[in-house]
Amino acid sequence: MRELTVLCVDADEAEREATRAALVGDGEVAVTAVGSVAAASDALRSEAADCVVTAYDLPDGTGLDVAARIRETTPDTPCILFTDASPDRIDTADREDVVVEYLPRDMPNAREALARMVGNLVEQRTQVGYPLPTREDERLAALEQYDRPEMDAADAFDRLTTLARKYFDVDVAFVGVIDAHEERFLACAGAAWETLAREDSMCTHTILRDDLMVVEDTHEDDRFADNDRLDELNIRAYAGVPLETPRGATVGAFCLTHDEPRTFAEEELADLRRFAAEAMDQLELRRQLNECEDERDAARTGAGDAGGDGS
Amino acid sequence: MSVQEPTYTFEGLPLEGVEPGTNILVTGPALGGIRELTMRMLLRRHSREGALFIAADVDGRETLTDYETLGGDLDFARVGAVDCTENGVGDDDHNVHAVGSPADLTGAGIEFSSLYERIHANGAERVRTAVYTLSPFVVYAPAKSVFRFVHTLTGRIRTADGLGVCAIDPGTVDDQTLSSIAQAFDGKVELREADGRRAIRVRGLPGQPEDWQPVDLDTA
Repeated sequence: MRELTVLCVDADEAEREATRAALVGDGEVAVTAVGSVAAASDALRSEAADCVVTAYDLPDGTGLDVAARIRETTPDTPCILFTDASPDRIDTADREDVVVEYLPRDMPNAREALARMVGNLVEQRTQVGYPLPTREDERLAALEQYDRPEMDAADAFDRLTTLARKYFDVDVAFVGVIDAHEERFLACAGAAWETLAREDSMCTHTILRDDLMVVEDTHEDDRFADNDRLDELNIRAYAGVPLETPRGATVGAFCLTHDEPRTFAEEELADLRRFAAEAMDQLELRRQLNECEDERDAARTGAGDAGGDGS
Repeated sequence: MSVQEPTYTFEGLPLEGVEPGTNILVTGPALGGIRELTMRMLLRRHSREGALFIAADVDGRETLTDYETLGGDLDFARVGAVDCTENGVGDDDHNVHAVGSPADLTGAGIEFSSLYERIHANGAERVRTAVYTLSPFVVYAPAKSVFRFVHTLTGRIRTADGLGVCAIDPGTVDDQTLSSIAQAFDGKVELREADGRRAIRVRGLPGQPEDWQPVDLDTA
């Protein structure tokens, strides 16, 4: 099992040390311990944490302020409020949206329960702000095969997206892959997007589907109406086709966006499917090439070893 | 000594028992009996079960009163409610904990976790949790927070071997949002009314009847 990194925020040194010791436990957890909201913010910026455990009362704010920083920087990271403060003393004003786990520190065996909860929240991805596909682990494993640095398909995708943007007369056309926490744009004609947090990405909804997703007006759709990030990116209309591998895993999407509401005619959507199929073929060809090269390298190394043994 | 299969069962409903840790989305029109169906799925089968309501459409006190009317045993050490209605009031005597607004999902999550721990600590090894309904959260809170809240809730129920029953009226949210929310659940119980007869069917849960089964629900 890989080592987890937990950020522990507590101003009380004794409590913090006890929490740290309980989490480190069998040695599979690394703990960074800090004592304030400001220090927690710095720590979040400098190093990704798999989970954050925070007290409620902090010298420069509350544990919910820490949660708000998490939602701004790495929104998927689970946060546990580990505190003696009873729920009625916790002020959620201006923090109604952060959503955290709560574990009373004064209950029996609280720190054992905390260690279990950290493991569960990380493993089950319980605090993500978007729907998770049913077989997400398999999907991510499949994505790894298609998403290797030596498989750079950027030129081909640049051409495809440039053509698509012109053909459909839209603001932006892009190819994006959805990894564990963000969407990464392999090519993007009409904008300079590189990554987008998964909870802000429309494609994270597209990959749940068998067929394409069309949103004619983001402001009229409950899933996106309050998503400010989409407004910042001037996305008001969207059409995306899932990129599905031959084995049935959806790794990303081929998409169009526009800065004002618009409809997409049936013929347009049929053509968009063709663009997506072309993009998926490009990815698949590169994966196969890669596989062949891996096999050739393995064979060569194997032959070399055999020769070495003989001499 | 025989060890009984540890399932949650539903007396008087055409539903087979489900495994611990199961989360079920219940869909149907608000006036078609979905409230009674949700409540009856929460009826405790023995005193070592707990029942926890997250009340967003109707306040906590009224929820518990209606639960009692349907045969729910109000043992306040193991039965309680988180009241998420606008300006809801807490009531310690009746184990009702107010959040103040359906937009405050952080508050709802904290009250839920706290109450869940207490019901557990009071000897309930198994806890049935109902959300009635998810609709006000979807209407008043940002979509991202609703997903985060639903994942937090279903995640805790799963790891604690609980039972989760979340009701939603499909008329209050669009189809896409509903299907995205449904991703977080193990299966669905659909309620419909046709020709004055109510029926339910189950989707996505093993060992359940697939077809529409008539169901008797008294209240409107």
